[in-house]
Amino acid sequence: MTGQILLLSGLVFFSILAILAKDLIRSAVSLAVASLFLGIIFFRMSAPYAGVFEISVVAGLITVLFILTIALTKAGGDVRESKLATLIFPLVFIVFVVIDVLVMKSLLHKIPALPDTAESGSFGDVLWKQRTSDLVGQLAVILAGVFSVLALFRKRDKDE
Amino acid sequence: MNSTWFVYLGFAAALLIVGLYALLTMKNVIKLFIGIEVIGKAVSLVLLSTGFAKNNILLAQSLVITFIVIEVSLVATALALIINITRRTKSLDVRKLTKLRG
Amino acid sequence: MIFLFIGLPLVVAALLPLIGKVSKKTAPDVLANAVFLALLVLALTSGRQMIGSGPVLLRLDWLGESVGITAAVDGFSLFMLMIVSLVTLCVGLFSINYMDHYGAKANYYALLLMMMAGMNGLLLASDLFNVYVFLEVAAIASYALVAFGLEHDELEASFKYLMLSVIASAAILISIAVIFGMTGSLSFSSVAQALRDLEAGPVVGVCAALFIMGFGLKAALVPFHAWLPDAHPSAPASISAILSGLLIKVSGVYALARIFFNVFGLTPALSQILMWLGAVSIVVAAFLALGQKDMKRMLAYSSISQVGYVVLGLGIGTPLGIAGGLFHLLNHAVGKGLLFLNSGSVQMATGTRDLEEMGGLAKRMPVTAATNLIGSLSIAGVPPLAGFWSKLLIIIGLVQARHWPLAVIAVLASVLTLWYYLLIQRKAFFGKLEARWANVKEAPFWMTVSTVILALLSIGLGLFFSTVIKTWVQPASDALAGGIKVALASWGF
Repeated sequence: MTGQILLLSGLVFFSILAILAKDLIRSAVSLAVASLFLGIIFFRMSAPYAGVFEISVVAGLITVLFILTIALTKAGGDVRESKLATLIFPLVFIVFVVIDVLVMKSLLHKIPALPDTAESGSFGDVLWKQRTSDLVGQLAVILAGVFSVLALFRKRDKDE
Repeated sequence: MNSTWFVYLGFAAALLIVGLYALLTMKNVIKLFIGIEVIGKAVSLVLLSTGFAKNNILLAQSLVITFIVIEVSLVATALALIINITRRTKSLDVRKLTKLRG
Repeated sequence: MIFLFIGLPLVVAALLPLIGKVSKKTAPDVLANAVFLALLVLALTSGRQMIGSGPVLLRLDWLGESVGITAAVDGFSLFMLMIVSLVTLCVGLFSINYMDHYGAKANYYALLLMMMAGMNGLLLASDLFNVYVFLEVAAIASYALVAFGLEHDELEASFKYLMLSVIASAAILISIAVIFGMTGSLSFSSVAQALRDLEAGPVVGVCAALFIMGFGLKAALVPFHAWLPDAHPSAPASISAILSGLLIKVSGVYALARIFFNVFGLTPALSQILMWLGAVSIVVAAFLALGQKDMKRMLAYSSISQVGYVVLGLGIGTPLGIAGGLFHLLNHAVGKGLLFLNSGSVQMATGTRDLEEMGGLAKRMPVTAATNLIGSLSIAGVPPLAGFWSKLLIIIGLVQARHWPLAVIAVLASVLTLWYYLLIQRKAFFGKLEARWANVKEAPFWMTVSTVILALLSIGLGLFFSTVIKTWVQPASDALAGGIKVALASWGF
């Protein structure tokens, strides 16, 4: 469990770094490292498939998309973030963490739950047989994304 | 629900607050987007740790994988929007973007 | 058969880009509208025998083997399927002319079909996570459609919409995760059974609050409405019509109603919350609508207000209230769709949405003016048009349940609604014809056809309200009023 807690702290730390960093590329890389940590956390929860997906898709694909966007929008110049926001953040975060710990402690054992039912079948069975509707949904969402990108990047014939 | 679930939930809540903070205070549209990504991580952590606590890790993995696929589609659309926005306003500043009143 | 509702739009959408390379405008027009028409016919005819004996859970059989795709059909989902097909068909017809100057028609129709597939998938879903997946399908299609024209306003509106929607999705998923944690399952029937066994009052309350935040944002209920007044005006008129007429109802009201009535069970506390949420939306949005100069912005605030009526009616929890709310959902989808399409006609003819600049358009665009009047009066609740009956049912429901203050609010807000709609009518259509509009023409053929269809429907639904209520609204209302029993009895297998 301590390993997990260390990894979780790393996850939170790099996420904070990602949003507070001044340089956008540094942000993207921090986000990728955070995803890496999350992937490892998933592995250690006996969820190898989720871990692999998290690392290859979120840490890999999405980071590439991010860096591509950053490169394409370099002409945007630098945006001055509010210094106040960056300074207050540690304070807000610490306050929140304290509240968080207290709330979680008080909720311990307060959430009723039915006893666990054992899981049958392999991962393939669960994904392809039980959650087939989700797979249809995945297909639909990928199509929707493809069409969205096509629509947003289309060449404009007439100037409107 | 055992205590490990609450530990994971606690960290997920911390991630959530980081993401929400980014959405509320950041002015660079790409930073706003990173906020969305962080919230996505928080959500996948909650989903998977709930499955882990219920001994239903296979189901939870299916859910998380579906969620990640949805997230990719969302990221693609949002980044396409952002690139179009920079073409229009020549800037990444969300203050230059918001002309419309709520 | 019922799986066609998801499958057909999906397949046609996938093929459209290829077809679009061959024939840029005609083939996409014909194909897309054919799909919409086919699904409307399907919804009108085959659905009802299926649910004749109560709600059913259908399983897809592929080549003899049973695949794990299920569809839960009952009066409520069928009712919504019918509304979705109807309004999408009219929007599709309207788009034949309207989207000409936007270009990329094949792409547009592909996105429209994906949005429809997403909405239908949501309506037929039988488990919580599936609802979320199809909700995102429709949402992602809608982000691109709102920004379709690639102008500054559209991009800004779409981006804001996207940001807020992400928060909604997070709230919904966290709630689903907690419910999964408690009950160990995701399907409506198992969760309903488990929650009853568990009696987990406070935690269910937190989950309900998260759902209200998430689905309430999708439905644009006050105080989660901030994205709508920007998104609807900036989007192309046909998309505004679909967003206002369908998407906020399917991904917001339907999902919320389904979960609160059939899974959680409507407790008195939930009922109160829904009613007050509805009432606040009605009043706040009506006042905000008054101050608008942009025609579509006024219509957008009005949508928030009318959805408030629907939620108020549903929140009452009595069969009469639920029936009123659902009938108003239908009337508003038809009426608001009509009004937004008309705003598109006006914008195409005059190039502006500013009411102050318009005037006297009725002389040059008589059909548009007439249909606009019908739509406005219907939503405002003037007899014998459709909206009057639905609002009356809601008010009677409130009185019956002894919610006097809410009944008064509903009536007064109706008067306010009538006021600002007549304002639009007067400023845009009646009055003196401004010199610069002397040469505008009536809207092109398909645009007028679609608006006339919707106007005739508003009249027809009003004149034949009792038949409509008996055949369509009643089964839907029964499905909701049946509460948890519906989920347990027929969907558990």
